[in-house]
Amino acid sequence: MTTKLTEGITQEDLPTWFKPLVAWRVVVAIIVSLTLAATILKRGIEVEGLLRWTLALGLLGAVVASVLAIRWTSAREHRGRLAGFVLDSLLAVILGFVALNGMGMFTGIDAVGEAFNGSVGWLGIVIIGWLVQGYAARTEAPQVALRQVARWTMITGLVVLLLAVGLIPGIIEFFRRAVQPDVLVFWVIAIPAGMFARMGWTDSAAQLFETTESQTETMDGLLFVAPNALGFLAFFAGPLVVSLFISFTEWDGLTAATFVGFQNYIDLLSDNLFLRSLRNIVVFSALAIPLAVGPALLLASLLNSKLPGMKAFRAVYFLPSIAGVVGVTLIWKQLFNSTVGYLNFMILKATEWINALFGLELEAAQPQWISDSNIALFAVVILFVWQQIGFNTVLFLAGMQGIDRTLYEAAEIDGAGPWRRFTAITVPTLRPTTVFVVATTTILALQLFNEPFILNSPNAPAGPANSTLTPVVYLYQKAFQQFQIGYASAVAWALFILIFGVTLLYFRRGGEDGVLSA
Amino acid sequence: MKNTQVLKRKENMKIRMIALLAILALVAAACGDGGEADSETTTTTAAPAVTETTVAETPVEPDEPMVDASTIRWMTRPDNPEEAAVYSEISDQISAGMDDIELVYEPGSNEGAGYQQTLLTNLSAGTAPDVFWIPGTDIADFASRDVILDLREYATATGHNDADFYPGPMGHLTTDVDTGQPGDALWGLPRDVSTFALYINNDLIAEAGVDDPRELEANGEWTWEKFQEVSDGIAALGGEIKGYGQSAWWGPYGAWMNGAGGGFFTADRSACALDSAESIEGLTFLRELYSGDSVIPYGEDPEPPFRAGTVGMFQNGRWATPGIRTVDFDWDVVGLPTGPSGPGNWLFWGAYVVNANTENPEAAWSLVEALTTAETQAQISALGANIPSRVSQDALDAFLGFTPPANNQAFLDGLSNNPTTEGPLWAGSWPEYVTAMDGAIQEVVTGSRDLSDFEANICSETAGAFS
Repeated sequence: MTTKLTEGITQEDLPTWFKPLVAWRVVVAIIVSLTLAATILKRGIEVEGLLRWTLALGLLGAVVASVLAIRWTSAREHRGRLAGFVLDSLLAVILGFVALNGMGMFTGIDAVGEAFNGSVGWLGIVIIGWLVQGYAARTEAPQVALRQVARWTMITGLVVLLLAVGLIPGIIEFFRRAVQPDVLVFWVIAIPAGMFARMGWTDSAAQLFETTESQTETMDGLLFVAPNALGFLAFFAGPLVVSLFISFTEWDGLTAATFVGFQNYIDLLSDNLFLRSLRNIVVFSALAIPLAVGPALLLASLLNSKLPGMKAFRAVYFLPSIAGVVGVTLIWKQLFNSTVGYLNFMILKATEWINALFGLELEAAQPQWISDSNIALFAVVILFVWQQIGFNTVLFLAGMQGIDRTLYEAAEIDGAGPWRRFTAITVPTLRPTTVFVVATTTILALQLFNEPFILNSPNAPAGPANSTLTPVVYLYQKAFQQFQIGYASAVAWALFILIFGVTLLYFRRGGEDGVLSA
Repeated sequence: MKNTQVLKRKENMKIRMIALLAILALVAAACGDGGEADSETTTTTAAPAVTETTVAETPVEPDEPMVDASTIRWMTRPDNPEEAAVYSEISDQISAGMDDIELVYEPGSNEGAGYQQTLLTNLSAGTAPDVFWIPGTDIADFASRDVILDLREYATATGHNDADFYPGPMGHLTTDVDTGQPGDALWGLPRDVSTFALYINNDLIAEAGVDDPRELEANGEWTWEKFQEVSDGIAALGGEIKGYGQSAWWGPYGAWMNGAGGGFFTADRSACALDSAESIEGLTFLRELYSGDSVIPYGEDPEPPFRAGTVGMFQNGRWATPGIRTVDFDWDVVGLPTGPSGPGNWLFWGAYVVNANTENPEAAWSLVEALTTAETQAQISALGANIPSRVSQDALDAFLGFTPPANNQAFLDGLSNNPTTEGPLWAGSWPEYVTAMDGAIQEVVTGSRDLSDFEANICSETAGAFS
């Protein structure tokens, strides 16, 4: 007798993979349950402290989901398909990474660079083939023979390149490592998990589980955001939550942490160095943000013209933003040197020139840019502004190019001059861009670290009389020099609250003014 | 329509094939190194350094596959890229001579993360290498937290002798965690040592017509007073020329305190001694030196002006030598001037230690020994930034040959004439002590704080650093 399951589908109609799928759901539930037990009982999974309980909690959720998935899958409900797909995908990705890690693949990243560096010359053949193909495609008469030559040149180049980087021995080595027992066990689970995940994504699965159009769209959407969401959870949200927990502990990073509640935060309130760092960063921001934003707006206005060579100027102004901060800071350190630095040399020459021109006897100031506690922070401001102004200019420039030209034409007809047009049209229209630029510059300013740290090297990173001590520098000192990770995490969260508050303020103001609604 | 779909499918297939090939190429490249390393290890001749320690007993079969080899990871902070390359080469040489052990060298720092940051993160995550280098000042923090292994048991088995190395570092490396005094432990072996000397610009000295510090030193007349005279004499050349420069971290100012017979701590390192009469005497000299304008302003990096030929004397360690070798004037080194209580200097050092969680403690110890043989240290010292930590005559003779500077003996004298050994604070937190001390001394030297106020309060200001 034929059992009618749902309308249109009988027992015989069920695809051959359905029973293995249900069986796989049971296997997954068993695997996840055993992993949970091993985590709790510390058998084979040696994870301690918070991480252990976080893992246990996640696994408990997975056990519940996998048990429900058995029931829902057996009943061919859509949620069974969804739960199974999520579980299988996660299982395949996580165990795949664990297996690759066990094979030492991630420690071979340097080898990737070395191998390609040594063989990159062969890529030239591919490029030649590509250029020839491009040439053949551009000629009026189709040159089939030339295209064939180009194609085979590219294929040959690619094959030689792959052989040169060690494709064949590499693959052999890959499989040799993959079959090691402690790695193979992960592949044995990850590969079927991946296959069942793929199976659960097919049209026939959708038909079997009676997935509606909108449910399919939801699954598509989830799949698209999954890589980013997983990355966000693993590398941002996860560490963020862990650091919050650590901020409530006394932990040196080497031994077990002790929970101290809000003590670290209470201590911060009376920590003179932390308060000094806050004062410094507020002063720094008050100086650096207007200087990095205001001139950038004016510069963008100048660069927003169609004069010859303007593109070159735009590139030049943008260069500091893409240069490595360490290299740039080291160069500025030389410029700031009070005895042989170019800044003081230029001040000296300028003074001499003025004296000669006007018959004066002015004495050239020779500031000790980095070593004088009264001006060291200002030196950092100069460096920060120099680095930031180009990027802000590009943002303003992009905003300006989106302004309707007819507004300017109308204003010009009404007799408005350049300054009037700038203040009455450019500035108000650019408000959304301005809010964004100010917010991002503020965030960067409050996170200041590299510049004072490198400028003061080899002396203490806090600068003369702690004049360039910033919260992040202080955090670094506490965490990596004094082994006070718990306290440093509290500093990080205090800074986070400050940055979050300021940013929220900017965007709320922007929202109230309607400048961010577009 | 159907043709279009077929074409599209073909196109998709082509893209998938290319993607697959790219992934395979990456996999191949990542795995390929293993094969290469294996073949290299079987063909490279064992280094002399290794023959002494690990290879002799069980020679490596040239064609034996390395399938079952254990991996020992090790990390040290190189002073420059050249040193990193030499460490990597040394690692390969030692690896070639170690039976069933494959060594992996990790430089430990890059532009994104400093050495200390990388090491602490790895230790917290449980992924730290088996063997790693730490500064001498960190030994107490690591030993007291059971992060590093007491190697005495393994050292005894291989016949290691503590006396082969400078006694200062070995004192700290054998300290009993509970008593804070030298005992029977062995926390590691010093990678290298260093000390301060004055790098001198002979051209400026000749031009100023002042006494040559090297001659003064040879005659036993190189005192603080003579040093001041030379410095002032050079600065008298005028313009941007200065007589002397030093950095503003604890080493350079501490050297003056040491020269006066003072120091940072009491003899048993259990309390602050910054307010002692001797320490204050050293600080007084430094303050007076900086009250004039014959020196590079305190806090400014003196190396650029020295390299530019505008400073007569510049205090720094051996690590500055590779950079100074590129200057185009006549230069040399001379020892630090003798203070009121005789010669005073620092003995800087760092040590190779073994991760307490290593699975191969014996192999890790073998590696530590191999990394500190006279031959290995000579390879590193030849680059100019280090001084061997072994006190063997061979090692010292080899070091004297690594010129310029011609007067390498000045460094060896600095190490043998009563230097204060850089070390941790077993009874407290060295980083906290330094943070408090640095700021206070900067204020004193730059004149923004009275010496009497410093003397009266500094030990209470730094008291929080002691446990």
